[in-house]
Amino acid sequence: MSEQQSGDSQQMVQHGETDATADGRASVENGSTRESALTGDALELSYPTSEEPVVECDRIDIPRGEITALVGPNGSGKSTLLKSLAKQLSPDTGNVYLDGKSITEYDDKAFARELGLLSQQHDSPTSLTVEDLVYHGRYPHRSFFEQVNEDDHEAVERAIDLAGVEHIRDKQIGNLSGGQSQLAWIAMVLAQDTDVLLLDEPTTYLDLHHQLRVLETVRQLNEERGVTVAVVLHDIAQAARFADYLVAMQDGELYDWGPPREVVTEELLADVFRVEAAVNYTPDPEIVPKHSL
Amino acid sequence: MSGTTSTEQSSGSVLNRLFGWIDGSLVSLCLASLVVVVAGGLVQVSFGAFSMTIGEAWRAVFDPAVIFDPQVWQVFLLGGELPDLSRRTLIVWNIRLPRVFVAALVGANLAISGAIFQAVTRNELASPFILGVSSGAGLLILLTLVVFSGLAAYLPLLAALGGMFAFVLVYLIAWKNGTSPVRLVLAGVIVGTVFQSLQTGLFFFVDDIGVVQSAIAWTTGSLTGTDWEQVRMALPWSIIAIGLALGSSRQLNVLLLGEQTARSLGMSIEKVRFALSGVAVLAAAASIAVAGIVGFVGLVVPHLVRNVVGSDYKRLVVGCLFAGPALMVAADVGARLALNPIQLPVGVVTGLVGGPYFLYLMRKQQNIGEV
Repeated sequence: MSEQQSGDSQQMVQHGETDATADGRASVENGSTRESALTGDALELSYPTSEEPVVECDRIDIPRGEITALVGPNGSGKSTLLKSLAKQLSPDTGNVYLDGKSITEYDDKAFARELGLLSQQHDSPTSLTVEDLVYHGRYPHRSFFEQVNEDDHEAVERAIDLAGVEHIRDKQIGNLSGGQSQLAWIAMVLAQDTDVLLLDEPTTYLDLHHQLRVLETVRQLNEERGVTVAVVLHDIAQAARFADYLVAMQDGELYDWGPPREVVTEELLADVFRVEAAVNYTPDPEIVPKHSL
Repeated sequence: MSGTTSTEQSSGSVLNRLFGWIDGSLVSLCLASLVVVVAGGLVQVSFGAFSMTIGEAWRAVFDPAVIFDPQVWQVFLLGGELPDLSRRTLIVWNIRLPRVFVAALVGANLAISGAIFQAVTRNELASPFILGVSSGAGLLILLTLVVFSGLAAYLPLLAALGGMFAFVLVYLIAWKNGTSPVRLVLAGVIVGTVFQSLQTGLFFFVDDIGVVQSAIAWTTGSLTGTDWEQVRMALPWSIIAIGLALGSSRQLNVLLLGEQTARSLGMSIEKVRFALSGVAVLAAAASIAVAGIVGFVGLVVPHLVRNVVGSDYKRLVVGCLFAGPALMVAADVGARLALNPIQLPVGVVTGLVGGPYFLYLMRKQQNIGEV
């Protein structure tokens, strides 16, 4: 599978077609490559403290209107890559394009109106209420001294509704459980009202109920408003069930990409995750380790 | 029909966003502070070398010859010759009250300056003087008094400029592809240490004990001898700084969400951080120019206000505008009257009050330091 893919410039189309036939979703336009909302080109990423580049990636595409999941073991560079796509980390070489325009050409606020990012870690004053936090999501839509207007108000109500945090809107963040506060933060990014949404491990440390709530919210946003989503997920089975499109990373490089069915293979699990496991589709993907490590 | 009600509802909540943040704790804090300021002011105008009863002092405060005379106000605020007034009125309005006003301005400036620096550095223990401001001002004060004594008339201005210069220097040192709160604080320590040493060194070149006393009064902060001229000097800058601080409360709140979140929300974080620091330095400089380097007020007041109204900067800044003057006016009562006829520098009193307050907090609160 992966040998066939490497060096095949048409692979995205092939995957697109299989995708379309698999579940009827039309993601290919007249046989041409499906359009990317966000593209990383010849990226080399490093942190000031590291000598070697942490991520080297010739090209990554986040297809428009789809949910893309980034998977890979710890330290494979998923979060780093996501940060550079979100303009939080400027690449040593290469460039990132949003809607075909280099992200360096965007003004900070204009960029934040197009692309929202929910980081892995976020802290806030404990006395901040959920509603106030969600209103902060309107920051890029307001000028320096501007007060809230009707649009802000509507966007906040929509975000609170979508994230399902209505019942806790007046509570202080410090008094919420991890899952509740994650939903509050998601409501904040939703209020930003962007066409592209990047989420860095939004489900880590949450119980199953809240994991599903978070993913459901994201799915709903994608289906109802056509928002392009890229999300780093830890659980590969969850990623395979949830995403339209998977990008697997290993040691700072892209290992494979495509629809989950084609990416999640026993070979990938062995190569990338170093796990001998059987992959079954019933029809949802199931991953069963063959023996203990 | 239902359409109109929903618009009414939503415009109601927009209104709610505009004024809903004013809550009971903020109102009571402001009222309590006002009471302290008024009571402190009353004590200040009643006692002193020329004694009068409280009734007489109050009558002088509400002397219609002053309050309803625009000409007198013009003299107070713009300078010039005062028309004839009764002796008591003159003492109250020309000597004792302006000192209370200066104390209030200094308190408000230091409090909002501290509040801003605490958000910019995301450290609850930051003070207006954290980014080298006090050491820069102190060094220039000593240089002026010791080396360039011809420039003594411009001392307030030079002190403020010294503070601003040190702040810019701190920023330059901290800058390396952008700044971070930690780098800023460390650069502040570096500049502070060097300037402090230079200051101490300069003391050895002073022969005159009067100059030493004057230098100490400036570097610990004192309101002795302040009058309308100091009000005129500080008022315009205070209005600008306070107005900007009030208008920037949302920026400060977003900064509290952390650098990464602020940036992903589209904040140009370096610009905002520098601009806000600039506002805080302006406020600190305005207070240095009239009262020297008064310690602890800018550290304690935002802290105290945060404990009462929470960390929302809309409430915090407003609270600081009331609580700062309250602490400063009260402290100045002590500085002026405790050891009458000797007047202490007010900075000595704020230090004596501020230290134990922090001891109390340290014992009571588990995690102190994070905003």
